Amino acid sequence: MKKTANTRIPRRVILGAAITAAGLALSGCGGASTPSAGGNVELNFVYWGDSNRAKMTDAAIKIFEEKNPGITVKSEYQDSGPYADKLATRFAGGNPPDVLNMANRTLLEYAQRGTLADLKTLPEIDLAKIPGTIQSRGEVDGKLYGLATGVNLIGMVVNKTITDQAGVTIPDDKTWSWEDYAKFATEVSQKTGGKIYGAGYDVATETGPILFARQRGEDFYTKDNKLGVSEETIREWFQYSVDLRQAGGYPPAGFFEQIGGSPAQSYLAKGTVASQIIPINNFKGYNEASGGNLVLLRMPGETTEKRRGYSADPSMLWSVAAKSKHPKEAAKLLNFLINDVDGAAQTLTQRGVPINPDVTEAILSKLGPDDTKFVEMVADIQKDDLPPAYVYPKGASVVADTLKQLGTEVEFGRITPADAAKTFLEKSNAAINK
Amino acid sequence: MSVLTKQASGAAAALAAPARGTPKRGPSRRTNQRSGYLFLLPWFLGMLFTIIPFFASLYLAFTDYNLFTEPNFVGLANFQAMFEDPRLLQSLKVTFIYTFVSVPISLGIALLVALVLNRGLSGLSIYRSVYYLPSLLGGSVAIVMLWRYIFGNDGIVNGFLGWFGIQGPAWVTDPEFALSTLLVLNVWTFGSPMVIFLAGLRQVPTMYYEAASIDGASKWRQFRAITLPLISPIIFFNLIMQLIGSFQTFTQGYVMSGGTGGPADSTLFYNLYLYQKGFTEFEMGYASAMAWLLLMIIAIFTAINFIASKFWVFYDN
Repeated sequence: MKKTANTRIPRRVILGAAITAAGLALSGCGGASTPSAGGNVELNFVYWGDSNRAKMTDAAIKIFEEKNPGITVKSEYQDSGPYADKLATRFAGGNPPDVLNMANRTLLEYAQRGTLADLKTLPEIDLAKIPGTIQSRGEVDGKLYGLATGVNLIGMVVNKTITDQAGVTIPDDKTWSWEDYAKFATEVSQKTGGKIYGAGYDVATETGPILFARQRGEDFYTKDNKLGVSEETIREWFQYSVDLRQAGGYPPAGFFEQIGGSPAQSYLAKGTVASQIIPINNFKGYNEASGGNLVLLRMPGETTEKRRGYSADPSMLWSVAAKSKHPKEAAKLLNFLINDVDGAAQTLTQRGVPINPDVTEAILSKLGPDDTKFVEMVADIQKDDLPPAYVYPKGASVVADTLKQLGTEVEFGRITPADAAKTFLEKSNAAINK
Repeated sequence: MSVLTKQASGAAAALAAPARGTPKRGPSRRTNQRSGYLFLLPWFLGMLFTIIPFFASLYLAFTDYNLFTEPNFVGLANFQAMFEDPRLLQSLKVTFIYTFVSVPISLGIALLVALVLNRGLSGLSIYRSVYYLPSLLGGSVAIVMLWRYIFGNDGIVNGFLGWFGIQGPAWVTDPEFALSTLLVLNVWTFGSPMVIFLAGLRQVPTMYYEAASIDGASKWRQFRAITLPLISPIIFFNLIMQLIGSFQTFTQGYVMSGGTGGPADSTLFYNLYLYQKGFTEFEMGYASAMAWLLLMIIAIFTAINFIASKFWVFYDN
């Protein structure tokens, strides 16, 4: 009988194990190393991106270190999602990086809590050549908390190999309407026998509806940092994709799985869709991944709607932490990132078209054909009189998440575009006005 | 004997060690105690890193802490806000469905496989390791990524269904199916309760079965009358641990949905929502309050289980 005693796990032991297991949930773990400076100043510089971007950035940093003896730069990069989370914890822990990448979505969130330095108070940063429209995108309450890493736009890319084989003509992008795009996409699907879908753009990323709203005469985010887009516009945006799917021009629900996010893994590269909306600084990457016959086009509706949808949009921003122990050196690095020609010769248009026109001029000859097309398109569009764009409000991250969530609900027909639009406005306004 | 089972049976033995009834007396007791505490030392040190955040989060639960500025005391506001938060309800729904569907199934499979393995097959240690392996991997990022591919539109599962002319659903992207894909993943990791079951089954004295066979009891009868009661404390232990683990699921939901809890919040686990609140919406006060609500929920379910255990767990002493 003695042996059986072993089978039993006493109640209090199970209870103890239960308490320990549950208690672990309550405690996170944290901890970060503190940079040490001994005569030599070490800057911590963080950004998001892939290894390709990191390689170019490292080359530029090397030049910065050569030009600024006594300063070493310790840089770190990550994917944008985990980057945002880690940045928040580092600020919360009182150990922020010196120079950092800031997203449009979170600029106000950080700036209004006093975590970022006013760049105008740092004389090392030369703003003489930076256009006012660009500066305004980093301004909050008259203070400059972020400078654009570059100017970027979204655009439509079409795989010409597919359209040629299908015998479909690509419409003129200077004058095409949303209706033209729908017709074009549907025709591609029909002529390829449904093997390839004409349209494959992402419905639920906010850059699309932001442009769409501007075309309809509304500011998605207004000057006073509120939500300005109407329910009707959001309904139309969703309805457009629903109609396009019904007509066959857009893939069925569940088609997009978004495994990874790189151009090589895109459906454009796989050849299952003929067109996609991309941030056009990535044109080179997409073109290389898709067989080299992509055509870069302006977004539809630019001349057929109330006004232009394009504006001077920063792709992302550079900021300096208010608590940086080396604000002088940090400012030097930021100045280098936006104004230095030799540095820009390494990073090229990786983060958008440089915001200092002299720098852009200087690197133009170093660009390959795809990047040249990108820069030319940005320059071309900027020649026109474009509507203004404003800093994203607090709560913009929730707005972006809400859009994604409702986009899926609409995709699978769980709610109507009208209900989705109503819910979107309710949830977004609640998040912004909090 | 494989390393894995050695560890597992070692763990079971350690759990059984403080059992009443066989107290050791003698000069060695003191030394034993001292070395016991010495072995516990790393745990005590680690505990410091748990205790401090533990109480910090209790305090923060009653504040409006936003990560950047000093927290202000807001009383029960965070807890009140929970009642009007539809995403919190959604996250509770997801977590409860996940727990109450996957835990019984995975425990059932674990017991079944343990019973089969306990019959003394040749190559037993290999089988044991093979079935245990998913438990080591199931929570890892790589396996969840692999799962996405297996259940993807061009994945093995839909390819297999395709042979029979069945057009499989979009397992990963359709809100109706995304959670079930994760349920399957969780059930697949039945290895750790299985190893504990196996250790328990080995402790059941064979003479009971011999006596029962002589009396003409069928295998099924033997299982119900001997095996089940004698391993009921093990079932109870596994049930409690699996429930707690399952309530705290995070990685699977985070990786599968890229951190969003999507598609359409269908994989928004409670802990994933807590994380979003704390780190993407900067509402750390609210997130802390959520952590304490989860602790209360787990405590309630554990308490219910302990009360219910009086009616079905058999302590043979």
